[in-house]
Amino acid sequence: MTYSITRRGLGRALVLAAGFAALGAGAALAAGEKIAVITPYLSQPGTQFYVEAFEARAKELGWEVNVIDTQGDVAAVISRIEDVVAQGVNGIVINVDPSQIGAGLDAAAAANIPVVGMDAGADARIKANVTSNGYEMAAVTSVYIANRIGGAGGVVMFTFDAFPPVQVRGVIADAVFKNYPDIKVLDRITPDVSDGGIADSRAKMEALLAANPEPGSIKAVWAAWDQPALGALQAIEAAGRQNEGIVITGIDANPQARDAIAAGGNFEASVAQDFTGIGSTAADTMARVLGGEVLKANVIYVPTQLVTSVNAK
Amino acid sequence: MVRFLRHYGTLMGMVAIVLVFWALLPDTFMTARNWLNITQQVSMLTVAAVAMTVVMVVGDFDLSVGSMASLSGIVAAVLFTLGWPVPLAVGAALVVGLAGGLVNGVLVSVIGILPFVATLATLTMYSGAAFILSGGKTIFGRDIPQSFADFAKSGLPLGSLGDKPVILPWLTVLALAITGVVFVVLELSTYGRRLYAIGGNAEAARLAGVRVTWLRLTAYGFTGVGAAVAGLMYASRVASANPTQGEGLMLNAIAAVFLGMTVTRHGQPRVVASVLGVLVLGIMDNGLTQLQVDSYVREVLVGLIILLAVSISALGRRATGRR
Repeated sequence: MTYSITRRGLGRALVLAAGFAALGAGAALAAGEKIAVITPYLSQPGTQFYVEAFEARAKELGWEVNVIDTQGDVAAVISRIEDVVAQGVNGIVINVDPSQIGAGLDAAAAANIPVVGMDAGADARIKANVTSNGYEMAAVTSVYIANRIGGAGGVVMFTFDAFPPVQVRGVIADAVFKNYPDIKVLDRITPDVSDGGIADSRAKMEALLAANPEPGSIKAVWAAWDQPALGALQAIEAAGRQNEGIVITGIDANPQARDAIAAGGNFEASVAQDFTGIGSTAADTMARVLGGEVLKANVIYVPTQLVTSVNAK
Repeated sequence: MVRFLRHYGTLMGMVAIVLVFWALLPDTFMTARNWLNITQQVSMLTVAAVAMTVVMVVGDFDLSVGSMASLSGIVAAVLFTLGWPVPLAVGAALVVGLAGGLVNGVLVSVIGILPFVATLATLTMYSGAAFILSGGKTIFGRDIPQSFADFAKSGLPLGSLGDKPVILPWLTVLALAITGVVFVVLELSTYGRRLYAIGGNAEAARLAGVRVTWLRLTAYGFTGVGAAVAGLMYASRVASANPTQGEGLMLNAIAAVFLGMTVTRHGQPRVVASVLGVLVLGIMDNGLTQLQVDSYVREVLVGLIILLAVSISALGRRATGRR
């Protein structure tokens, strides 16, 4: 009995250790430049696209890429930057607002490790941020709506100001709609995105449809990204109001949105960011920085494209 | 010796984890700088877990610590935007934490709602309040006073290593100080002894003359303030406040306390044990990141380690019980 208890204690230690030894063995073999990609938003469809494109380009460049997802935790991004700085990576790619991770950027700067932003934000400590022009995308869709509804009628907006790249889209749409005296913004909704954004947007839209029962009282729904647009579409179809000519636009043109646009219903337009282009351009930008080039522009825009039923598929 | 091994098996597991990382990362893991990094990285979780320990001692728990952390950060940041000086805004955020904790206490202890239900409800309320106050926006940049943001970037100079200064981060100092305070409260005061008595057997404690209702209520006050402090530390670390930023703290704090409980003699929540639990989570994050282990694999591993430690501890207790 005495002996078995002793063994149990030791066993506990050994089991915990064994798992790590197995794991570490694979990671220790390194070759080429080590690049860490750190993001709190990997579960977002767009983020996945550009991380994959980054990895593909990095593979061609012979880099070893470590993708780290902190699942929405911004402070953990700082921690993970500190970790990879300690590990001694050659470069760091981030996908989060740099003003919130200053401590991590300081750590990277102190160790002379270059940081490139992938749809992040501009900061003096970032060599360059590679992204789409959010102002431009919002201008394209909000003007699309203004033209489609003849510059008059009620418009519902779905925005998300807590996330700066989406916040700038709302600013432009505000300005465009304000510029048409006969366009009335009925509501500016911030949906709960913890479930992905579709379900709550649908619920909010259903409430608005109930509050505005007159056909034609809602002319359009402008969404700062696709999920609320899809939720609004579901709400409009469920309410049987799909033939009132309500125009819906999104931004990002994710696969689900493309399907909806191709189907020719109320969801008429979205803007495709070139996520693949952002990912590969970020890798190329990092390659330029590692090659010793000093970049002039600290924001590099990758072109976007309006998606309608003509080119949705 | 036998008793030592039985009680400290998990502890040895922790040591083994450290040794494995040390062996696999000979140059970068066991350095003063990396360890100071780790203590800073886990400082917020330490405060949240230590605060969570107080209610768990009584046998309750608090699901609202994460949203309270978010709310306190938002309260301070909103007050900053209104031009309040840093100490006043921070003080107000702590008052909000205390009030929120006491509301939980009243719901659980006076009204008698199950802690799970009561704090689940306040979780959504505090989270909603954070969204209302902030308008859903992240408050950052010039709205956050430099001195508040600098707190998380600076520390106590300890001397220098080579050409670089070694600094004990203020976040670490604060986490240590709060751990010390809660240690004194739980381990060295009659108040703490009574909380443990309630956790052991609330009815027996009541019959022995312990004011169970009042003590359970006040325990939530500690947790509320602790959550608020953790939220302020988080806000300082990221130099911004976002209505969802504390969310990750709650589950990790509970996990750390449970992990710590496997170290203690009777499986009770203990402050020092909770800190050990936090350290395990922090060391895993740090080491596995440096080893370039996939972040999702890391999540699974952390869960596995918790399960492993808790099951072995449970089996061990059953074996002792039979004897």
